[in-house]
Amino acid sequence: MKRRVVITGIGIVAPNGATATEFWENCLALQSSVQHIPQNWLNYWQPQSRLWAPLPSIDFDARGINRIERMQLDKSAILAILSAQEALKNANLHSKLIDEKKNLFFINGFSGDRTAIFMGTGIGGISSFAGNEGYHILSPLLNKLQKIAVSPDEFSDVVRAPSRFNPFAVSMTMPNTCSATLGIRFSITGPNRTVCNACASGTMAIGQAFEAIVAGMADAALAGGAEYLADEYGGVFRGFDVAKTLVKQCDDPQTANRPFDRKRSGFLFAEGGSAVLVLEELSQAQNRGAPIIAEVLSHAETFDAHSVMSIDASARQIRRMISKALEEANVLPGEIDYINTHGTSTEQNDEIEAFTIESIFGTRPLINATKALTGHTIGAAGAIETAVTAMSIARKTTHACKNLDEPIRPLNFVTKSGPFEIKTAFTQSFAFGGHNAGLVLREFCS
Amino acid sequence: METVYQQDPLYAKAVAIICEVLKVKPELVKPESNIKNDLGADSLDTVSLLMSLEDAFKEPISDETALTLETVGDVVAFISSRKTHVTAV
Repeated sequence: MKRRVVITGIGIVAPNGATATEFWENCLALQSSVQHIPQNWLNYWQPQSRLWAPLPSIDFDARGINRIERMQLDKSAILAILSAQEALKNANLHSKLIDEKKNLFFINGFSGDRTAIFMGTGIGGISSFAGNEGYHILSPLLNKLQKIAVSPDEFSDVVRAPSRFNPFAVSMTMPNTCSATLGIRFSITGPNRTVCNACASGTMAIGQAFEAIVAGMADAALAGGAEYLADEYGGVFRGFDVAKTLVKQCDDPQTANRPFDRKRSGFLFAEGGSAVLVLEELSQAQNRGAPIIAEVLSHAETFDAHSVMSIDASARQIRRMISKALEEANVLPGEIDYINTHGTSTEQNDEIEAFTIESIFGTRPLINATKALTGHTIGAAGAIETAVTAMSIARKTTHACKNLDEPIRPLNFVTKSGPFEIKTAFTQSFAFGGHNAGLVLREFCS
Repeated sequence: METVYQQDPLYAKAVAIICEVLKVKPELVKPESNIKNDLGADSLDTVSLLMSLEDAFKEPISDETALTLETVGDVVAFISSRKTHVTAV
């Protein structure tokens, strides 16, 4: 008999919420974080997009991340820790401090050997890399300026470098920094993997953790995604800006990000984010009386083999991914009550995604796009959206599509946050490179 | 010597940082305490301590200098000399 996998805990840090509770309340209230990009980035180039979604202010000390750790960890890893510890707490899993100096914990009642970690990231520790590279390149220049009696302050608008080359540069930059950090912090010694498939990373990480539990490789997992994309110079933002993927109509920041609307102009770059889910094999969860949020029925992946930068307009592999996910879940398209879309607000994605959904599912399922509220958190996005899907099932409530005034297709978009009968749901992500991934979730029935 | 050090605000600040990074009690930290052997710092702890001292005193510590800082007294003497040097300049 196939092992069943349930979600028992969720932790989230997003631009519109520093905890899962705050995030959910803000989603329902359609509160998003949209601001002009940092002024100093404009010293380096003139971007087409001028908006981003910054993270909220977070009291890291109050949430257990001390000053020493903040010097040694990439911010994506810090966000991952915050999400993981919230997910564990919500799953009624209590952590015991076992090493005060290193701030390490053991999860009571959990077998570290039988627990896995699957974390997604799009670009790993790019922020740390940029800072250290900045120091590496600019510190000789700053020294030369001083030698010729020119104050570096005269060039401080563009010549800005951290105070040191961080001795932890390698461990901060490596893409597996989040999965490794979580394993160390919580004494989790089972399979520990990093899924690095751009915007589909979070969805795939959860899907692959689900598959690992079904296959018996583990009995539980911390799975999700984390990303931190801000750097001193705005170079990461520039990469997406030059690719013409970012929101362009910036006159009214609050209405700029509008997935599936005719006036959409690109995605809203997020400073970062993270979501971590606790997945457990059903009998383990039941034996310890865990709160069950939703069941994961299936995961499917396909690859476009088309273009690293653009979605295949035929959507052939997206359709195949959806078919595989439904088939494995033993669910018919008509049984899907709700779809949390990839919904980036780019012209091409939304057009193709909306058409594909309509052609497979018709116009019955509820549709929304969480990126309308979070912006695009890249490797964390799929994990945040899976969390929203699970919460929408458990709470029989979901958020509306912010700024959707003129839908591009006649789909059943959620026009007002509120209660809905959601039993079976689907969430999907597509990624630069050509990766497609989806998960079918269902209300838990014993 | 210990009395002189303990009256020095710079010493007190250094001890506070050492205690924060190495999670040792202040009463265990003496000028002659060896950072590795007496206070239990491993190589990563030592790197963390040096980074914290750099931040606190706004004073870069080169790799060569770091190798000479074996005791708490060595750390305080180095920072004190640099601060005196900077002030003199």
